[in-house]
Amino acid sequence: MPLDTSTYSLGLLRVDGRRWNELRRIHAQIRTQAAADGSSYLEMGHTKVMCVVTGPTEPGPRRGGNVGSAGGAGAASGGQHKDAEVLVNIVIAGFSSVDRKRRGKGDKRTLEMQSTVANALAASLHIHLFPHSQITISLHVLSQDGSLLAALINAATLACVDAGIPMTDYVAACTAGSTSTYAANDESADPLLDLNHQEEQELPGLTVATLGETDRVAVLVCESRVQVSRLEGMLAVGVDGCKQVREILDRVVREKGRKMIQEGTVERGTGLNDMDVD
Amino acid sequence: MADRRRINGPAGATIPPVFDEDGKQYEHKVAKIRDRAPTAIRKMFLKTGVTPSASGSAYLEYESSAKSGVSGLKLSCTVHGPRSLPRSSPFSPHIVLSTHVKYAPFATKQRRGYLRDPSERDLGTHLETALRGAIIADRWPKSGVDIIISIIEGDQDRETSKFQGDETWDMMNALSGCITVASAALADAGIDCVDTVAGGVAALVQDTSDDSTPRIVLDPIPSEHEKILGACCVAYLPIRDEVTNLWFKGDLPASDIDLYTKLVESGIQASRNGNRVLVECLGETVA
Amino acid sequence: MASQQHVLLSPAELAYLHDSLSLTPPLRPDGRSPTQYRPLSAETGILPGTNGSARICFADGTEAIVGVKAEVEKTRRKWDDDTIYDENKEETREEAEGAEGSSDWVELTVEIPGFRDDDSSTVFLAAMLSEALLADGGFVRRLVINRRFHWKVYLDILLISPPLSYPLPLLSLTTHLALLSTRLPRLKSEGDEDPFFDDDWAAAPYLYPRSSNKKVLARPPVTLLVMAVGNNIIFDPAKEELAVADVALAVSVGDVSSSSSSSSSEGEEDVDMTAEEQEGRKLRLLSIRTVDPPSRLTPPGVPNATNSAYGHAQVGEGGKTKQQMPEARAAESEAVEGVWKPPRGGAKALVMAALVQKTLQRGGVADEVFDALEGVDLG
Repeated sequence: MPLDTSTYSLGLLRVDGRRWNELRRIHAQIRTQAAADGSSYLEMGHTKVMCVVTGPTEPGPRRGGNVGSAGGAGAASGGQHKDAEVLVNIVIAGFSSVDRKRRGKGDKRTLEMQSTVANALAASLHIHLFPHSQITISLHVLSQDGSLLAALINAATLACVDAGIPMTDYVAACTAGSTSTYAANDESADPLLDLNHQEEQELPGLTVATLGETDRVAVLVCESRVQVSRLEGMLAVGVDGCKQVREILDRVVREKGRKMIQEGTVERGTGLNDMDVD
Repeated sequence: MADRRRINGPAGATIPPVFDEDGKQYEHKVAKIRDRAPTAIRKMFLKTGVTPSASGSAYLEYESSAKSGVSGLKLSCTVHGPRSLPRSSPFSPHIVLSTHVKYAPFATKQRRGYLRDPSERDLGTHLETALRGAIIADRWPKSGVDIIISIIEGDQDRETSKFQGDETWDMMNALSGCITVASAALADAGIDCVDTVAGGVAALVQDTSDDSTPRIVLDPIPSEHEKILGACCVAYLPIRDEVTNLWFKGDLPASDIDLYTKLVESGIQASRNGNRVLVECLGETVA
Repeated sequence: MASQQHVLLSPAELAYLHDSLSLTPPLRPDGRSPTQYRPLSAETGILPGTNGSARICFADGTEAIVGVKAEVEKTRRKWDDDTIYDENKEETREEAEGAEGSSDWVELTVEIPGFRDDDSSTVFLAAMLSEALLADGGFVRRLVINRRFHWKVYLDILLISPPLSYPLPLLSLTTHLALLSTRLPRLKSEGDEDPFFDDDWAAAPYLYPRSSNKKVLARPPVTLLVMAVGNNIIFDPAKEELAVADVALAVSVGDVSSSSSSSSSEGEEDVDMTAEEQEGRKLRLLSIRTVDPPSRLTPPGVPNATNSAYGHAQVGEGGKTKQQMPEARAAESEAVEGVWKPPRGGAKALVMAALVQKTLQRGGVADEVFDALEGVDLG
């Protein structure tokens, strides 16, 4: 069904009832997995992602191909790893989209996302503190509804915070788009924040991730055609959205920390349903 | 995009020819019946040393049934090793076993591709479990042995798929053949084993009508029976009297545990019979 | 394969574990009884975009999520179905064909972090789980819509935690729960026409139907891992216990209650049902596979008699080497008490039969597991 953008300019309401600058409901939890070094669960609207971080650990046998890596592996050609290696593994479950679709491990889009997330995290994590080691980030996508890369980056950040890996600041990510397609050539098109699946398919959009509350962009991915004049507006809206996301992530971490101090310890194996909302 | 560098066949799909069955019977097939005794296994031919370039090798053939259209089972196995592991692999205090089972593309009624599919990998895992119990692994640290089995003909009736629908029962026969031939090839390669392993299959079958009581037969051919209620494939060490691998599949009532025990015992019996052939063949190799 | 999990235990620790598990009664590291399961937390219906979903966390932190999705697919007719339009034979045909299903109506995939999909351990797990599901043919029969269409069910099993212990029981229990909570849309079309369904999800019936008093009539199978050390049979082994196992089996058990309770004589039938329920379930044995225990891959211990670090005479003097040789050979093949040796050979058939019997006995472990899973609330 084509996206009905008729209400956009009239009531400035999108299909899900948001305005142009509203984020979807973000719900996140950390320490969801007792056995892992760090874990997190993040929902951005209907996009649900789980992340498990193991590390820093001893490096395993060198793997080629299927894992996105950044840091020590790519950096020095001399063979000495001055930094820890960040390895990312993304599993997109078959039931995540409306139609069941199985992606093989060697899927190019998945490999690209793995590499992007690894580079994003490696920019912020203090990997120089852990030479000759590896940090493994496993991401599981349970449900997809747009803004997948942004959700993955946010979940990975939270899990790394939970794992206690020192980092410069949160890497907060968000998507931004434009209200009309490239073909319409509409100069007065407004930017949109946080695209869902329908909007992502129809409208031009980009994913941007910033380092915390600064304007420093760590990740910028734009795979659609858009006029250059609109690009700056989208980027500004995206960066602003990232600041909001960062605030939410920080709140989640602090709340969890407060609870842990109060209770002394966390109960193992608590279910997703009975973890309460903030 | 037209590929002009190659000479391609017609672009559209072609419908393969569908052959009429033998005899003009459409509705009721003459049911094939098992002409062997329930405790008799098919005749086997086993020979070692068929591939001179490998450390050890063996070839196994099960006789084909007298009825037309039922092929036998033909397996070829080569063993490479013990050989040193690649430098990148971590130290291992025992021999690293890797098994590789592959049906030839023309071996079964449905053509199989060139890459191993999950069912073949599953067979490989079963084979590994079966052989690991027999090999004395800690005499060969930092070494590896590769066992490669090609199933040249897959013991399938042309009309099997109409009755049973899936090939699991054929795979059990193939697995038992794989175990026997791998054991012969290992002995040919000179790898230390505690005992010879042979595979045996037993099944609980129901013939013709629903009223007949199910009986246990050894070395079943699926097309000879109306319905197979359960089957098991056993890898057995005769001198130590131990089972290294057991694979049972079917639907048995849990209250009747004796039925299951009898089925496994029959599988062991089939394995003992297979072992006799194996020992005789190895005796010829040595002599 | 269990054999690929790296269990970093020294030969001394392995010998200690083996000895304590061989005692009567066995002393397990966490003090459980041989048939006691570790606590787990389970929830269903966590993924609203699927037909059924479940998540189970074991006490050791391992976690799995299973999602079930179903799609309508056209039934491929077998090529000899000329008689399908024969009016005289219609009833028998319907009976015969409608009752059948095909094993490729169920697609099961297992994803374990860090392993490729064609890795032998992943394939073994997937094969074991789908074998149990397809063993009796009852499951695929439920998927028939009419003679031209059927449901194709996709089961995606994700192991969220890194594979610390052998994941088979966890994945099997999670699959069981996910299937129990699976609902398929209610059919509104009739006969053989193109199927269309009711939009109301609340009206969707469960794949495994319940009777009037909310009791589940038939259940999906459950795969249990059981191991033996010496003369003891131990259930739900932790990874340290599995590392010293003599033999380990994966046993799949199904539960079929009498599904013949018709609506006509329900009053009577209910009474009979409860009596039978009190007696226990009708369990069926669906599949058994031996699991290669990681104990075979552990390094052997060296007894003090042959260990040069403990003052054993050095090799070098000509006369002494000849003496040492038979000792060394004996040490290799004989068991020295307190020194760990990886098991060789297989398991006795009687031991395996005892394992299976213990699992299946009335009021035994299988019954307990089914009872426990029944208690999970299916939202």
